[in-house]
Amino acid sequence: MSIPLGITLLFWLATAVLVAGLVRRALYWSSGQAAPVAWSGLLAIPKRYFVDLHHVVARDPYIARTHVAVAGGAVAALVLVGLNFGLALYSRTLDYAILVAAAVMLTGALFIWMRRLDAPSRLSRGGWSRLPFTLMAFAAGLGALVAVPADQISGAIALAASLLLITGSAELALGIGTGGPMKHAVAGLLHLAFHPRPERFNGERSTALKALNLKASDFGIAKPEDFTWNQLLSFDACVQCGKCEAACPAFAAGQPLNPKKLIQDLVAGLSSDSDEGYAGSPYPGLPIGNHSGAPDQIIVPGLIEQQTLWSCTTCRACVEECPMLIEHVDAIVGMRRNLNLTQGSAPGKATETLANLRETSTQGGYPTSARYTWAVDLDVVTAKPGSAHDVLLVAGEGAFDMRYQRTLRALVKILKAANVDFAVLGDQECDTGDIARRLGDEATFQNLANKNIATLNALQFKRIVTPDPHVLHSLKNEYPALGGKYDVSHHTTYLASLADDGKLALKMSGETRPLTYHDPCYLGRYNGEFEAPRALLRKLGIETKDMLRSGPRARCCGGGGGAPLTDIPGKQRIPDMRMADIREAGARVVAVGCPQCTAMLEGVAGDRADVLDIAELVADALEIQA
Amino acid sequence: MRYPHVFSPLKLNQLTLPNRIYSTAHAEVYAEPGGMPGDRYIRYYEEKAKGGLGMAICGGSSPVSIDVPQGSWRPVNLTTDRVIEPMARMAETCHRHGMKIMIQATHMGRRSAFAGDPWPHLVSPSGLREPVHRGNAKEIEIEDIRRIIKDFALAAKRVQKSGFDGIEISAAHQQLIDQFWSPRSNVRTDEWGGSLANRMRFGIEVLKAVRDAVGRDYCVGMRMCADEFHDNGLDHETCKEIAQAMAETGMIDFISVIGSGADTHNTLANCMPPMALPPEPFVKLAAGIKSVVKVPILHAQGIRDVSQAERLIAGGMIDMAGMTRAHIADPHILNKIREGREDQIRQCVGANHCIDRMYLGQDTLCIQNAATSREATMPHVITPTKGVKRKVVVVGAGPAGLEAARVSRSRGHDVVLFERSDVVGGQINLAAKAPQREQMAGIVRWFDMETKRLGVDLRLGIEATKDMILSEKPDIVVLAVGGQSNVEQIQGWGVKDGLAVSSWDILSGKVAPAESVLVYDGISTHAGFGTADYIASRGSAVEIVTPDVKVADDTGGTTFPIFYRRLYSQGIIPTPNHGLERVYAEGNKKIAVIRNEYTNQLEERIVDQVVIENGIFPNTALYWSLKDGSINRGQTDIDTLYAAEPQPALNETTGDGKYLLFRVGDCVSMHNIHAAIYDSLRLCKDF
Repeated sequence: MSIPLGITLLFWLATAVLVAGLVRRALYWSSGQAAPVAWSGLLAIPKRYFVDLHHVVARDPYIARTHVAVAGGAVAALVLVGLNFGLALYSRTLDYAILVAAAVMLTGALFIWMRRLDAPSRLSRGGWSRLPFTLMAFAAGLGALVAVPADQISGAIALAASLLLITGSAELALGIGTGGPMKHAVAGLLHLAFHPRPERFNGERSTALKALNLKASDFGIAKPEDFTWNQLLSFDACVQCGKCEAACPAFAAGQPLNPKKLIQDLVAGLSSDSDEGYAGSPYPGLPIGNHSGAPDQIIVPGLIEQQTLWSCTTCRACVEECPMLIEHVDAIVGMRRNLNLTQGSAPGKATETLANLRETSTQGGYPTSARYTWAVDLDVVTAKPGSAHDVLLVAGEGAFDMRYQRTLRALVKILKAANVDFAVLGDQECDTGDIARRLGDEATFQNLANKNIATLNALQFKRIVTPDPHVLHSLKNEYPALGGKYDVSHHTTYLASLADDGKLALKMSGETRPLTYHDPCYLGRYNGEFEAPRALLRKLGIETKDMLRSGPRARCCGGGGGAPLTDIPGKQRIPDMRMADIREAGARVVAVGCPQCTAMLEGVAGDRADVLDIAELVADALEIQA
Repeated sequence: MRYPHVFSPLKLNQLTLPNRIYSTAHAEVYAEPGGMPGDRYIRYYEEKAKGGLGMAICGGSSPVSIDVPQGSWRPVNLTTDRVIEPMARMAETCHRHGMKIMIQATHMGRRSAFAGDPWPHLVSPSGLREPVHRGNAKEIEIEDIRRIIKDFALAAKRVQKSGFDGIEISAAHQQLIDQFWSPRSNVRTDEWGGSLANRMRFGIEVLKAVRDAVGRDYCVGMRMCADEFHDNGLDHETCKEIAQAMAETGMIDFISVIGSGADTHNTLANCMPPMALPPEPFVKLAAGIKSVVKVPILHAQGIRDVSQAERLIAGGMIDMAGMTRAHIADPHILNKIREGREDQIRQCVGANHCIDRMYLGQDTLCIQNAATSREATMPHVITPTKGVKRKVVVVGAGPAGLEAARVSRSRGHDVVLFERSDVVGGQINLAAKAPQREQMAGIVRWFDMETKRLGVDLRLGIEATKDMILSEKPDIVVLAVGGQSNVEQIQGWGVKDGLAVSSWDILSGKVAPAESVLVYDGISTHAGFGTADYIASRGSAVEIVTPDVKVADDTGGTTFPIFYRRLYSQGIIPTPNHGLERVYAEGNKKIAVIRNEYTNQLEERIVDQVVIENGIFPNTALYWSLKDGSINRGQTDIDTLYAAEPQPALNETTGDGKYLLFRVGDCVSMHNIHAAIYDSLRLCKDF
């Protein structure tokens, strides 16, 4: 048999194996729930791949370049092989083109291999350690076979090259069907086409959790098959690069959560497998190999332990980092929902807080009439139906905390200095339900949201301003699905616009100590507001030095997602790590814009930076002090 | 949420108070001549407003009628329209910081002395003399009653017109309204006396007139006593009946309750409970009144911290807590709590320096906070200097030294504080050894915490020498080295020969009390009786001898009665008007020879031990060794000091061995705690 013919046969054989594997995988995905998808997504793959996905990958220039070389080389080589050998053209010119593509691929694979010589711990081993070699084998084998005309190649070299090519082809073709590393190429592209949050490709942050239809007995995710089919597909796209793991605050704190392992466990679940084959970092403190699942089997605790789910702060650092655009937080909250709604099961103080929310509409079990007691001496107006205001100030749960009342009082002082016509909700304000939703108690969230929407819809105001990013997120991003559509701003956004419009007379801040700004997750990653707080600080003449982890890649304070309530033990506390980041930046003051961050960072024991809300800094720099 | 009850608003009529802590009406003795609230008066209340207080009631015993002499406690004069303008300024000032402001209005009846402008004939229901003030009065006539009721209404109208948030009618401390209530002062047989209903008539008529004048929506409260603690006075049950009757008129929006009558020296001492009394000694009486009325109950007396207030309010005993002396000591209590700086609260210790001064006709000053009521010149919050940072060495960690270190460090300077003993506090540590005077140590505790928090470099157990001080390369040296017990003033006392010991020896535990002891007190401050009490409480027989007209003569109206309770109950023999001539030994006994100040007659006492308290003698050796080397030759410029201005010497270039030298407190000449702290504050605030 001639070499070209052999390549032709190998190409079609490999293609057949790949298609068979894809069918097998698609059958797994099809165990998931139906989801509305646009088939036109298939056409959008190139843009989503080259723009959206590459945007994430490019943050790591080394791997971005090598991936361009390997994947680009491989795709080009495969297309050309398909042309030249698949269609039996056997053009010498195409051979040379294939040779070039293979050389590019080989170079890239070489660099991937080199990187693996000193691999960061976030990278999975196992099949992923094999991959550079099989890719190099494919490129080298293919290159050798097309480099020299078939009749001039020596038998031994041809045999060796053929074996290399077959080995490499097996890796490429079998990946999808057997769950090998190359599964990511096929599943990844399809995931881009059928992403559960396609709006992310339109530049939206799309961070709102999807509402459950409780009346239709949709109680979240109990089994892998309760995920939608395209969520299952998305898990298969994971390349186990561990970027999520490296960003996860719970993992770093030694809590039993590793987003990468979680996704791999779900892959095991959808394919009736165990985690034995997993070759990455474990959930800290939990050994590998004891968990397995199947699409129709209950996930917790056979496949994933409860404490893993309750460790998550919902900070979205994993989602932000994921080059495959996988939505970890949706998966975690989905599973939490089922635990909460069907078993009422949540650890630590979470159950107490949820009970408080149900019974008192506050997290701490306070009377709602006490929410604005801090404002009595400030003569703040309470909004009433029939009287219109420019701004409705929503304080949130922080209003019950004496520390946070200082921020609120500072904000009121600023609003007064700027002559803003504002009112508060007074005892009509219920908790937004943010924490209930993050903890999976969707019913309580929806009840609270409906109450608040009824209140808000009866009032006349132009916009809502809140100093609490969690309130901001609920009201702005999650209430619309329940019928509450408002113009909602974080106080820093609003104050920055007041300052820009010249309505806020500010002098230079008296704060001269080195200062850094901590981006609250729910303001930054959830709402894309990174600039306004920094702009305000600049206006006060304060030079900030950003921490290594800041902006979209900021580290969580540990206060999100109900994590302080579930309080899953780890080796260290997340706020302590964040305070170490602050110290590392040389700051003695950390500016914040969130009651949770304030409380978490101020809870750090020992010598630490002072924590000041942006509002406090602004209030101190008002040109006219009350 | 911390202190949820304290930080919950309270509605009084149309007013919403932001929290449940207030400052009760007290006699500030700050009003300008003519009874006008002036700059000092307003600033004093503004500081409380800045500190987050919910409400203040000012003007303790502010009279509504002109037949009340006002000289001794300088209240606000509510008898004239001239008061409206300054009161309006005051209301505006308080409101700017979110504090509500009210004023107490009263007629004192017999509770005064006639000897003072306008030299009136006092009035009282039955013309019975009041013991404390020697208040001779005529029996009030119906015309007087009508006049005074009308005066109450006119005064209330003035208060309302000024923009004040409300008025508190005083029927406490045996003033005219409760003189009518109390069988001690009302033995009339007409419609104003006899039955309780008759005795209450005057008060109700006053309330009617006031309510008519100010209308339904204006806040009117009443302060009343809930038990006079006199056999022939108002008991608690009667006071409950009165409270109920007053509340049910529907004319008052709150009742402020106090325990104890006030027309004898002994009961008066209860009214502002000094440190000898337990915390909140009379809250049960307030709770008793609360059990029979629907209006909110306000109560003060010995509520020193907010956790106490929280507990009392949460327990349903009272609705609002008065913390008046607490705010004299620290007007920023509530903001410090709000700001998470609770540890920095300067807590009132109940030394009653404030109120004891008032009974001497002097302005109210705090023993531990020299800025209070001096807001125009003395800062409550020390801000860092914008000038040069200096090295300040303070020697001596008594009150003067601690304050000098605190203030200098708060100004941003590097401060080294040397202290010879192993603890800070100086003489206060001795003062706290006397029975029921332990809380004096609270003054030290705060200074200790503050100087530590601020980062003062404290060197304990080191007796600083000139070399040591100079090796610190100071820019400024502040000597606060105090003095020593002044027992060698008279050689015949024989202290050197071991015939007598000092009060310091006893209080410090260096010398054990013997079986029978003569305590000689040459100066009649707290120390002398404290020493006698210390010895007696350990079972010894004690006689206290003093040349002054009475034992503990220089202690004040709310303190000496406490001492006397202990003096008589322990059988301590008081021998005033005698000086100690000499002491000699006879066998193992000591013979003390005392001389009557007025007859010169000599007497002898045979005792086991003679203990002498005679104030202190300044330590000056260190001063003399440093004086010549200093730029300013140790002189404090008194023109600028007394004008609260920076010392001119601060303009000199210091460092490289050139330093300024100042002395503060007892090491100059014997002062008291307040004076020592004031010395340091006024000097160091401009460092």
